[in-house]
Amino acid sequence: MKIDHTQPLEYSTEQNQLNILGFWIFLGAEIMLFATLFASYFIYENRVGNGPSGGEIFEITPVLIETFVLLTSSFTIGLAINAMRLKRTKAMLVFLGITLLLGLGFLSVEIYEFMHYYHVGATLQTSAFTAILLTTLGTHGAHVTLGLFWGLFIMIQIKRRGLTPATANKSFIFSLYWHFLDVVWIFIFSFIYLKGMM
Amino acid sequence: MKELFPIKQVNGFVFSLLLTIVALSVYFFDMSFQLGMTILLVTAFIQAGVQLIIFMHAGESEDKGTIYTSTIYGVVIALFTVFGSLLAMVWGYM
Repeated sequence: MKIDHTQPLEYSTEQNQLNILGFWIFLGAEIMLFATLFASYFIYENRVGNGPSGGEIFEITPVLIETFVLLTSSFTIGLAINAMRLKRTKAMLVFLGITLLLGLGFLSVEIYEFMHYYHVGATLQTSAFTAILLTTLGTHGAHVTLGLFWGLFIMIQIKRRGLTPATANKSFIFSLYWHFLDVVWIFIFSFIYLKGMM
Repeated sequence: MKELFPIKQVNGFVFSLLLTIVALSVYFFDMSFQLGMTILLVTAFIQAGVQLIIFMHAGESEDKGTIYTSTIYGVVIALFTVFGSLLAMVWGYM
């Protein structure tokens, strides 16, 4: 494996560069996945049947907490990658840890929110609107859940093996994934919640 | 300690918080649907751009041409899917 020392660690081998490029192409496909969910959401948005509408069940406080928590976690994982490039392994692990804790906080609030929907009678079977709402939010939440485990395993690997071209590459790719989830949340926040409560 | 908080990323974070607060104005102030949607569209897409360029370092490697092509392709398909569906299944029946 040829290591190019003029590049940051995560780009230092040809394999690493291809891994990052490959992940960007995967993210392109993820954009389209969420596009189909948003398209379905906009179609079914007003098909509430006998169930509640968005404006009736959305609560601003949990949504605001989720938004600011996820935005901050996107910032802290950016700091983790910056620390990684400075070869500050310990600082990097601290930032990664904060990121995952914020992710866990996000998920807890989202679970609370889903319980609230259940209690006010908005379940997957209530109406076309609640079905697509919970599917869209759930797909994003499932991505965050996966990310929590992925990030945890990367932290364990860095702790064991230190910063190598391989672990740096995995961390960088994980940071791309995490930022992407934040981007998706911005669209959920704007076009599902704020549009619904406007 | 200072090198752990690069100014570019701190500014990006502050900017994204500001964009969120601007987006929130549609909730706290009474405004027309059109104006509200315009504000949301503008803030959401700028926000996505901030993430992509500042935090995801989309333009820093030699693969940047391919990365932007693939991402823009994804976004274009996304817009066609969303607005095509709206055109075919919602707007025509209002």
